Amino acid sequence: MRTKNYLLLCAAAVACWSLALLYIPAFADTVEQLMLLFLSTNAG
Amino acid sequence: MLRVTLQIIGLLLLLLATTIITLRLAHQDADGPSILFPGGALISGTLYNGPEPDWRFTDDIPIIELQLEDPLSSRRIFVMESDGKVYVPSGYMRSLLGRIWKEWAFSAEAGDGLAVARIDGIRYQRRLIRVTEPDVIAGVAAKLAQKYAGGATPETVAEVSQSVADGDTWIFEMAPRLR
Repeated sequence: MRTKNYLLLCAAAVACWSLALLYIPAFADTVEQLMLLFLSTNAG
Repeated sequence: MLRVTLQIIGLLLLLLATTIITLRLAHQDADGPSILFPGGALISGTLYNGPEPDWRFTDDIPIIELQLEDPLSSRRIFVMESDGKVYVPSGYMRSLLGRIWKEWAFSAEAGDGLAVARIDGIRYQRRLIRVTEPDVIAGVAAKLAQKYAGGATPETVAEVSQSVADGDTWIFEMAPRLR
């Protein structure tokens, strides 16, 4: 993928991801649960 | 192929950073924490003003919200009653991730420990005091194992006690403020 297209993809992904986290509570909860699982498994 | 791989890794790292920043900012002034990210001051809920409660009611409550006054932030945390007193734990204290994740515990120990706990919609003004006395820890470890580790077997209690003795897990009493 060319750099310009890649940067556009990154910008779009960040925008969509942020909006989903902010406005879809169930999505944010799922992401946080996965992060908590990762931390619980690897923080020791 | 290497280029595509690096682009995918870069995108995943970007989404991880976006998640942390977005959720951290979204919750930092909220009335309470999210699952993982600290919230702001605990505002809603009746402020308890009465005699010392019978903390055994927390045996049926897996998670409470705990707010430090300095720095002002709140998080979800386990709770254990033992011998009439109430305690909260902080784990992973000797790991790198733990030092970042559990920064509040270092602040509580270094500072005055003033805190507010919100349990079932009631706010309790308390002071966090780190406890290390083995006889106290034994009771707390038994309750911690019973509530959160599948049962207070001698092995799990010993494991929790050893974790506290090693400094991997810190235990704070949520003491009354007037002490």
